[in-house]
Amino acid sequence: MPKKQVSLDVRQLDNFVYDMSRCIKCKGCYWVEHTYMPGVNFSTRCPSNTWNDFDSYGAFGKMRIGMAVAEGRLPWTPKLLEIIYADPLCGACDVGCKRNLDLEIELSLEALRVKAVKDGAGPMPAHKKVAENIAKTHNQFGSPHESRKKWLSGDIQVASKADVLYFVGCSASYLNPEIARATAKILNASGTPFMLMADEWCCGNTLYSVGMVDEAQALARRNIDAVKATGAKTVILSCAEGYRMWKADYPKMLNVATKDLGFQVMHLVEFADAMVKKGTLKPTKPVNARAAYHDSCSISRLADSWTPWSGERGWMGTVSPALKRRRGTEGLYAPPRNLLKAIPGINFVEMPRTRENAFCCGAGRGTKEAFPQLASFSAKHRLDEVKSVGAELLVSACPWCKNNFAQVAKETGNSVKVMDIAELILASVKG
Amino acid sequence: MAIVKEAYKALEAIVGPKYISDDPAICEGYRSGPGGYESGLGYERVMTKIPAVVILPRNTEEVQRIVKVCNRYKVPYVPYSTGFYGPRSHCHVDNELLVDLKRLNDFEIDEKHFYAVVGSGVVYSPLQEEAMKRGAYVVIGGGGAQASVIANLIGDGWSPLSHRIGLPHRRILGTEVVLPDGELLKLGTLAVGEDPFWGDGIGPDLRGLLRGYTGLRGCLGIVTKMAVKLLPFQPERLVPTGISPNTALALPEKRVKWVNYQMPSKEAQVKAMFEIGKAEVGGAVTKVPLFWRAIAKAESKEQFWEIWGKENADTIKNFHIVRVLFIGFTSEEQMQYDENVIGDIMKELGAITRPTKPSDESWIKNADSAGMWLMCGSYVSVDYVIETLSQAVVHGNSYADLKWKYTPPLMPDYGDPGWFQSFELGHQGYSEFLIYWDQDEDTTGVDHFYLETSKMNIKNRYYTSLLGPHQPLYLTGPKYGPNYHQWLLKIKDEFDPLWVSHPPVPLAHDAFVDKAEWMKPLKDWESPKIPTKY
Amino acid sequence: MSIREKLSEIVGSGNFSDDPSILNKYASDFSLTPAGAPSYVVKPKDSQEVAKVIQLANESAIPVVPVSSDVHFNGATIPKQGGIVLDLTRMKKVLEIDVDNRRVRIEAGVKWQQLTDELAKKGMRMIMPLLPPAGRSVLTDYLEREVPTNVVYDYGEPMQSLEVVWPTGEIFRMGSASVNGYPDSASKGANPSGPGIDFYRFVQGAQGTMGVVTWLNLKIESIPKIDKVFLAPVDDLAYAQDFLYRVLPRRIGQECLLLNNVDLAAIIAEKWPSDFESLRAALPPWTLVLVVSGLLRRPEEKIAYEENFLKQVVRNEFRKMEIQDNLPGVPGIGRKLLTLLRKPWPEDNTYWKNVWKGSSQSLFFIARPSATPLYADIVKKIVPQYGYPVNDVGMYIQPIEHNRACHMEFTFFYNPANAADKARMGDLYRNVAISLLNQGAFFSRPYGELAAMMYERASGYTMALKRLKKVFDPKNIMNPGNLCF
Repeated sequence: MPKKQVSLDVRQLDNFVYDMSRCIKCKGCYWVEHTYMPGVNFSTRCPSNTWNDFDSYGAFGKMRIGMAVAEGRLPWTPKLLEIIYADPLCGACDVGCKRNLDLEIELSLEALRVKAVKDGAGPMPAHKKVAENIAKTHNQFGSPHESRKKWLSGDIQVASKADVLYFVGCSASYLNPEIARATAKILNASGTPFMLMADEWCCGNTLYSVGMVDEAQALARRNIDAVKATGAKTVILSCAEGYRMWKADYPKMLNVATKDLGFQVMHLVEFADAMVKKGTLKPTKPVNARAAYHDSCSISRLADSWTPWSGERGWMGTVSPALKRRRGTEGLYAPPRNLLKAIPGINFVEMPRTRENAFCCGAGRGTKEAFPQLASFSAKHRLDEVKSVGAELLVSACPWCKNNFAQVAKETGNSVKVMDIAELILASVKG
Repeated sequence: MAIVKEAYKALEAIVGPKYISDDPAICEGYRSGPGGYESGLGYERVMTKIPAVVILPRNTEEVQRIVKVCNRYKVPYVPYSTGFYGPRSHCHVDNELLVDLKRLNDFEIDEKHFYAVVGSGVVYSPLQEEAMKRGAYVVIGGGGAQASVIANLIGDGWSPLSHRIGLPHRRILGTEVVLPDGELLKLGTLAVGEDPFWGDGIGPDLRGLLRGYTGLRGCLGIVTKMAVKLLPFQPERLVPTGISPNTALALPEKRVKWVNYQMPSKEAQVKAMFEIGKAEVGGAVTKVPLFWRAIAKAESKEQFWEIWGKENADTIKNFHIVRVLFIGFTSEEQMQYDENVIGDIMKELGAITRPTKPSDESWIKNADSAGMWLMCGSYVSVDYVIETLSQAVVHGNSYADLKWKYTPPLMPDYGDPGWFQSFELGHQGYSEFLIYWDQDEDTTGVDHFYLETSKMNIKNRYYTSLLGPHQPLYLTGPKYGPNYHQWLLKIKDEFDPLWVSHPPVPLAHDAFVDKAEWMKPLKDWESPKIPTKY
Repeated sequence: MSIREKLSEIVGSGNFSDDPSILNKYASDFSLTPAGAPSYVVKPKDSQEVAKVIQLANESAIPVVPVSSDVHFNGATIPKQGGIVLDLTRMKKVLEIDVDNRRVRIEAGVKWQQLTDELAKKGMRMIMPLLPPAGRSVLTDYLEREVPTNVVYDYGEPMQSLEVVWPTGEIFRMGSASVNGYPDSASKGANPSGPGIDFYRFVQGAQGTMGVVTWLNLKIESIPKIDKVFLAPVDDLAYAQDFLYRVLPRRIGQECLLLNNVDLAAIIAEKWPSDFESLRAALPPWTLVLVVSGLLRRPEEKIAYEENFLKQVVRNEFRKMEIQDNLPGVPGIGRKLLTLLRKPWPEDNTYWKNVWKGSSQSLFFIARPSATPLYADIVKKIVPQYGYPVNDVGMYIQPIEHNRACHMEFTFFYNPANAADKARMGDLYRNVAISLLNQGAFFSRPYGELAAMMYERASGYTMALKRLKKVFDPKNIMNPGNLCF
């Protein structure tokens, strides 16, 4: 067969026809990785397919559906849109598949959304609303842009110029000021001067995730230029979704490598872990709780750096030049655990599904807006798991996780306390 | 595509509207290929369809009611647990109902009596984990940890751990089957009560209807519940380690250990298996094909070809590994005894012990069976033969010769077409032959090879798994038994008078050969009359 | 031609009989099944003759009753509707002993003594049920799922592929013997399963109602190099079962069984009634027999690790289990039992169950080991109601595969010459069976009246079984009147 030009560009669904056509229906995208399988309970990794049992809602079903879309055999219908969009794109399927194979599942799913938008069928109405909000007010919620820095309290020192820039993000700015403050105070406490963006706009996570790649790319360009203009060497985020955008999806859209962005992208957990090891951050005050840690998807499975690639696919499906695929091995698993173990009084327990097997909270990447029932379902399911290890405190590293868990815990009368890791660190550092 | 409205309504009343759909996007998700086991081949292209309706029952009772509705309204149906087995587990006719059994996922375990009760939706790795928590283990079939336990036990179900309990159907205890006409059949002790602990028939054993060495692909009913034997293991924990893709179980070295022995010749490799069987030791014994090592080392398809490309017929010829799993079932002392005994055997045969990782990525949890597709994107096990070690050796040669004729489009294996091992402590031998190809190439050769293998077995009078629904029934039937096909079809006619259960299986491969132009040159046997209008 | 002429033509007149004195030999056995004589007896020499007889019977709808053994306990071979007894005892060749693959192929008429002797010459053995009579057909015993005394093999049954003549007269090979031209083939017949469907399951436990099996492949094992017999007196059966639940999954032992004092006394007594009575009084309520063996390689090491493990378990967990290589008060019993367990019951000796009172009825079933104390209690409660002394009941428990289940067997001894004894035996047997059945005892091999009891309860199974039977035996000629046919 003649060689085919391919690249990892999600703007062309055709780039992923090989991947979609080689899905073997092993459901490595659905099950917890078998080596780590905890038993008959908590045995799955895919929120979409655990929520809706039809095969079509698992990646393996979507690969077949994707082929039909690529070949023009399936018209866009509400059901098809639901199948494509009722999915937090958490990366569990991608990493699960890549334990054994080298198919690009996540990129296929992203490409399908790009196609939906291109064809005028997607995204979901709730996503369009978010896009409108961003266009008007530079944040997802349609809140006043001028209120974006309202979270900043008087006891926080912000530098006008520093090596470190803290990118706060929409959620912390508007919904979770406690996370923004805690992050900022942790930076202060560790003696790290940091800047804020003069005019911070949404990172574009939802836009990119739902396939509005042109709008997301425009935001990416704008934001990167803005950061470069500050001279920052490191951008720190305390939102996992934002972290993923900056580290992986911005380079992806702009066809550059993460290492060529011009600055380093870090999540707070990495930074804090390093500072604790260095001794500049001292968690000394006890926080007494039996705590479980939820590995937020975007700093776990989806955290690998991006390297652009294009080439040829030929004999037996081999590609050239050689391509080192992103398999989720750069996930930030150790840093948050180090931090939890460093905090006196915390009795840290692992859940049955951890690290790359963690079960997504179900909120991120546009899911909570368009499919609140899926987000609630996922959170409730994960909260059952938290309960199963007797944890009274659930810690995560993303405001989306925190808000979804907290809301569902309240709705279901679950007494578990939900905290962001920034809050927990701060409580031990400042008390 | 559709089923008659009254049937749909009746089915919807059974499961509720949430668990039934005829939406085209939903049904498309249940397409067989183009990727998967035995996919990207003629059989899949010609014989499979997407369902018209998908239904998800919750329990035996719902399944039974569904099957009765199908008989009432003559709706063909196919039972489906994971769909991993490829085209033969998918719809074959238009306007068909796919019965997705994944919600039959109840699970019970009787630790003391070493069995677990599972529904069709339970797959192996959760079962293995639950077993191991309780000092037991199961044999996870080569299909992998993701195979449905029930489907695997009535279809295939073997692995190197079959060294101790080979034939999977010996592991089947009390079972519930919904017969094709909707009658409920309970086997073993379930025939007379609620306790599933034993599987023998009352008099003649109707577990014989479940499979026949290899499976019936669901054409003789739907198994909804099965008690499955667990085997006693050892008490130490196997700890999962690593981050994907490099995960493995760390083995408690004094109780569980893999050891690779490099044998000086093929003869020595075979003799080792005979001797280990006679000595009645070991937890698993298998030969390892060289390309598996390449797969294990490779992190990508390209890397695999880089490694494999360095091999040739000569390097393969001299590479003979016997891989042994030691299990200290009784004690550390017993494991030492096993090692001493096998050490003696290996010494006698001039083998060298190779350094072996103290971990398991394969077989105990079998997390990596999907790796079979890494190399070429397409794969099927053409033949998996349970007979004696004696037949295994001879059969392998015939098979390798035939396979070479079809390489390409088959992936070159340099004369090492598969793996073989001891079963049931050497009373049986097992050999499996896997083929790989790129389905974007012309796959006529692959289709031909598959059939030619059957003819080769018939000609050389080997026993083979390529019987029943796997090959044209009218090709193999007259040559085994003889005329086993006549009995199989009589049984089919008796229990499925309307042929609604997965039509036209077991005549599907016959139908394929008749429908596919490129298969005609190979056709030199009688065509059956397929008794369905579907 | 008359039937007798046709039959004589097939097997030769010397192998045909309709002489009443000959026919009468097949009309009864040690069971309580009412007598029933056949109309003809034929003794074919090979499968072809068997096939011709069956074809003839099928044409004329005459019942066929296959018989392979010299001695019968369960009434299955007593013709219930007359017909032709197909006596396979002429077909007694040990066809192949394949030491490499540890397999033997035997005709239906091969009996335990013959097989044991021939295998021993090659250093091999057949695992055995408890004390099979020398004159029993090995093939029949395994078809009928007799439970072996050996508990250690994961693969359970020793059956492999076989040849059957179907009730419609076709000769058919199943499993890997189904290859064209077997046994002149690379396929040796080691796989019982298939082709296409597991036919062999249909002839198992069938009491000759599904066809006539003419030869069978079976697994054989090597004779252990060293054997050590351990015994333990048992007062508390539940405690002994707990012990077995603990040790058998650790793959300890070869033969392992529990015998109550009555059975054990009857088995080892040499002088009757003196030995028997003193043994019965002296033996503990139960005796656990556990044979630990060293196999082909490093046999002492195997014995050592098993012994060490047993010692450890006893010391740490089961102090009351006094397991030793002897039984107090019965010198030499270990050695004696080992011989008994490895050989069939000698031909010229009255079968051990029938020595005491002349006859016996055994009631056996598959059970959860933990339920056996309950079953023993049930029996002890019921038998006095029939005037049967509790202390006269024989009991035997055979653990199966790591003690996941067991075969439990009660033997009731009686004098067949005493009409009242005999009549009461029938009632006792039936009522014990019903009570045990109600408590979960599984009669997977229901002979005589037990069949009706089981098939009534298993209505769904029975229905399916009858449908299957119709496929293979549309005229119901194969041993009609047995099971549910």
